[in-house]
Amino acid sequence: MNTEAIKELVYKMADDLLILGHRNSEWTGFGPLLEEDIAFSSMAQDKVGQSWQMYKILHELGDSEPDTVAFMRNANQFHNAQFVELPNGEYDFSLIRHFLFDSAALLRYQMLTESSYTPLANLTKKIKGEAKYHSMHAKIWMKQLGSATEESIQRLQNALDEAMPYALGLFEPSPYEAHLIKDKIFAGEEALQILWQKEVESIIEETQLILPDWNSLIPALGGRNGQHTEHLQPLLDEMSEVFKVDPSADW
Amino acid sequence: MLKSLDPRVNRLNIPLEEAAHAQKNKLDQFETYEVFVQTKEDKPFEHVGIVHAPNEEMAFLFAKEQYTRRGMFCISLCVIKTENIRVSDYSENQKDIYDTFEGKYSGKTTYSFEVFHLIKRGKQHKYEGNVQAKNFEDALLAARDTYPRNKPVLNVWVVKSEDIFVSDEEDQDLWDTLQEKKYRDAIDYRAADKIKAFKEKQHEH
Repeated sequence: MNTEAIKELVYKMADDLLILGHRNSEWTGFGPLLEEDIAFSSMAQDKVGQSWQMYKILHELGDSEPDTVAFMRNANQFHNAQFVELPNGEYDFSLIRHFLFDSAALLRYQMLTESSYTPLANLTKKIKGEAKYHSMHAKIWMKQLGSATEESIQRLQNALDEAMPYALGLFEPSPYEAHLIKDKIFAGEEALQILWQKEVESIIEETQLILPDWNSLIPALGGRNGQHTEHLQPLLDEMSEVFKVDPSADW
Repeated sequence: MLKSLDPRVNRLNIPLEEAAHAQKNKLDQFETYEVFVQTKEDKPFEHVGIVHAPNEEMAFLFAKEQYTRRGMFCISLCVIKTENIRVSDYSENQKDIYDTFEGKYSGKTTYSFEVFHLIKRGKQHKYEGNVQAKNFEDALLAARDTYPRNKPVLNVWVVKSEDIFVSDEEDQDLWDTLQEKKYRDAIDYRAADKIKAFKEKQHEH
């Protein structure tokens, strides 16, 4: 097994989940209606829980404890795509990000259930049910607001245009793509992106939204290498504030 | 600006003087949907509560997180718009509500209806079965003639089968989640001993 390749893959998945989970949890108490507030918060919690499981895999591969890895790194040590660290904006942007991210996450997990790396195959089998709900939740909102009123359609359209280059950053190829594919650990970012684009197209088709031309988009890359926007460090400071008061405390 | 210990509130830059809210229409709430959960293959669907939603798909979404999340077993979930449920009168003093219905079941099979019974006050309605009838009143009479009643039925709900939105069998995996969720439970934050020690210390001073 190519441990470095596996670590790269698991780190970026875990960091995406932790950072987006934290971002989405910022909506808790501010959601547009009570039921949605609860659902969105629950999904945020699922994501943090999933990231924890992935940090545990990394711990077993020799890295630090999950809490240490989650709370003690600086922005340039995170491997999440820039997409997930962007501020929530209004609910339109958060919903679009939820849709684009979770469609990709579900497909990624489905692919990884076949992984030759057993811990990852086992974990993704366990969490794909949660991811299916997250993706279903996002799709139903897209269909609802993507064809509802002039305002809702325009808001989603603006958010979609803004989000799309960042969403493509989710598929930034790793230096280990060839190894991952050859060792049947993961079928690769390119294969995932093809499936994802099809999925996104099929949902957007059911709305009045217009997809930007894929070829015209310039992906926001760099996140996987620790290059981030100015939004990540403040998020980390806030997220780790309590932990850092006493890192040795037993919570 | 409004100052809060919650940084998220501060970021919203809410003026201290609350701006006058836009005039709202009366009754601008979404409609309600009744939620029913099946916990095991051999158990009937049971009413668990309501959600507000703009349509049944979204009601289903909300119901899933609202009623089938923490430590609850679920294999299937359905939602029914409240206004599509016909509610019988409630009986009193352990009388069977069916005994108060007058008339004869038509035997017609124009519509398919699903029937829910309330057996005990304070408990939830449970699914009883399906009947064919020409309308709601007729469905109640059909139910009266169909189901054995070992215990008095206190209240009956009847709904057209077509008005029920139920999860697909292939979506059962929605309820497969990570088992290890202790970190979500308040019980995991064991503070009682520390609080006790703190109080004792306070007492000494």
